[in-house]
Amino acid sequence: MGVILEVKNLTKKFGGLTAVNDFSFEIMRGEFVGLIGPNGAGKTTVFNLITGFEKPSSGTIRFDGIDITGKRPYKIVNLGIARTFQLVRSFKYLTLLDNITVSCLSDRGREVSKGVGVDEYASTILSSVGLVDKARIPPIILPHGDLRKLQIGKAIGTNPQMLLLDEPFSGLSFEEQLGITDLIIKLHEDGVTVFITGHVLRELMTLVPRVIAMHQGKFIADGPPQEVANNKIVLEAYLGRGERFA
Amino acid sequence: MFKKNLIQEKVTNFPSYLKSWAKSFTGGLTLFCLLILGILPFLSTNEKFLRVFLPNFTLAMIFAIFAASWDLLTGISGQISFGHAIFFGISGYICAYLMKHQDFTTPPQIVLAIIIGALGAVIFGLVIGIPCLRLKGPYLALGTLAMSLILLKVFLMGSLEPWLYGSEGIYALPSLTKDPVKEYFILFISMIVSFIIIIQISKSKFGTILKSIRDDETGADASGINTTKYKVYAFLLSALFAGIAGAFYALFIGAVNPTGNFGTLNSFFAILMASLGGIASISGSAVGAFFFILVGEYFLVEVGTIEIGNLVIEIAPYKFAIFAVILMIIIRFAERGVLRPILEHLKDLWDLMLGR
Repeated sequence: MGVILEVKNLTKKFGGLTAVNDFSFEIMRGEFVGLIGPNGAGKTTVFNLITGFEKPSSGTIRFDGIDITGKRPYKIVNLGIARTFQLVRSFKYLTLLDNITVSCLSDRGREVSKGVGVDEYASTILSSVGLVDKARIPPIILPHGDLRKLQIGKAIGTNPQMLLLDEPFSGLSFEEQLGITDLIIKLHEDGVTVFITGHVLRELMTLVPRVIAMHQGKFIADGPPQEVANNKIVLEAYLGRGERFA
Repeated sequence: MFKKNLIQEKVTNFPSYLKSWAKSFTGGLTLFCLLILGILPFLSTNEKFLRVFLPNFTLAMIFAIFAASWDLLTGISGQISFGHAIFFGISGYICAYLMKHQDFTTPPQIVLAIIIGALGAVIFGLVIGIPCLRLKGPYLALGTLAMSLILLKVFLMGSLEPWLYGSEGIYALPSLTKDPVKEYFILFISMIVSFIIIIQISKSKFGTILKSIRDDETGADASGINTTKYKVYAFLLSALFAGIAGAFYALFIGAVNPTGNFGTLNSFFAILMASLGGIASISGSAVGAFFFILVGEYFLVEVGTIEIGNLVIEIAPYKFAIFAVILMIIIRFAERGVLRPILEHLKDLWDLMLGR
């Protein structure tokens, strides 16, 4: 056990707008944590800051005891943090297998696939996300649900210790959501620390044992989902203050 | 580790690998084209054929290497270069300088000059690649274009003439061989070797990484790929092959001068040829180069006129206008280039004939 991710006084300003404001939290190794908040709360910015796609204005991020504040994304991936994007990204002219192969060619991916070979390892991952029958087609013709699975596959390819999933359910049908949920639960059982965002409370509440809530870039609550859902400030963040309508 | 295994596998399976390639449609067609190119010089001993027609093929092969090098950088790795003449020119100048002013005159020395010229282009690629690759998309295209224009102006500068030989450049270079057939075969083999290397690069795991950067650079970064490193590698490899082409070009022409070697037109020739064949299709670059040079140099310049009754139209002056129109038509109607659609139709025909 022990702390795997430690975020301290994280702040990000875009011009006059403070997207993330003095945000601090800790995640233990092997935990399954949700990050919730209404649209525009700053969840994606927190992810971008952790994974190095944005540089924080101030504050520190430590992963596994190493300071990763402001490091380049690929370096952070090679330390063991993989992420997916809210808007799906893929290498659209490569086959699905090659999409995953690229991740397997990262430092950690190469290390773990040394014994079996990159191609073999990539197709194992492809079958674990349930896309092995589509290995030879490019992602441009895939339905949205499969693209979400592909994203997770690409993240697994880098052999992560910790997985950041940015809105993995958005735009999916209920059945597709179930498929992704199973995949995430299985990953967590395999020992990957999972950090997941969502703006729809219902989706996350049944999935994770702990949620962190944020609103307008600020930390507002941390605890088991039921407790956080009944928290007055969280309700206000989602629904607005009661007095206004009184 | 895994790379070694893969290469070993390929080498031990080489005869069967080659056999299955030759039997495949594209493999067979490539071999057929190479065969035709292989017997072409022996078809006639006519002086005009040897002195005019054959050198056009030699020139086409030089530009095929050049266009393929551009395609490796832009089509495969997605780093748009509008200034590929930089490497073409630098290498040509280094090669010419060594031959003329350092007495590299015997064939082995000339080969060495070509190699040094190409390596010079690689070093130059490193020097300009690192600042240029911080730019993305159209900005990179502009950056490389600006760089090639700056070089052109620098080499034209009168005050630098003692070092850079001014607007007249370096001329009366020794040649590798006086025999056009020998020259043809030197280029033929160089082209085949260059193409095998470039195609293998694009098919390798390294090539997969380059293509991933082309498709989504942020995504490649998120997959743990050091995109800067791989972009620089792509730049250097492309500079190497552009350099080889540039050195051969200097040898072929027998002279180098700023507009001939650094001219923006050279950069656009590469783009035009690669787009004719289809961007990101390496062998397409060769088809584009042959089409461009043979049509452009031979039919438009040598044939030169169209006669309709009493009316004689000279077409040579309109060469570039004709190609500009062709390029616009390709961009509008066949963005995949002309080669791949034609090949697909041919393959359908082939399958039909074999009754598959």
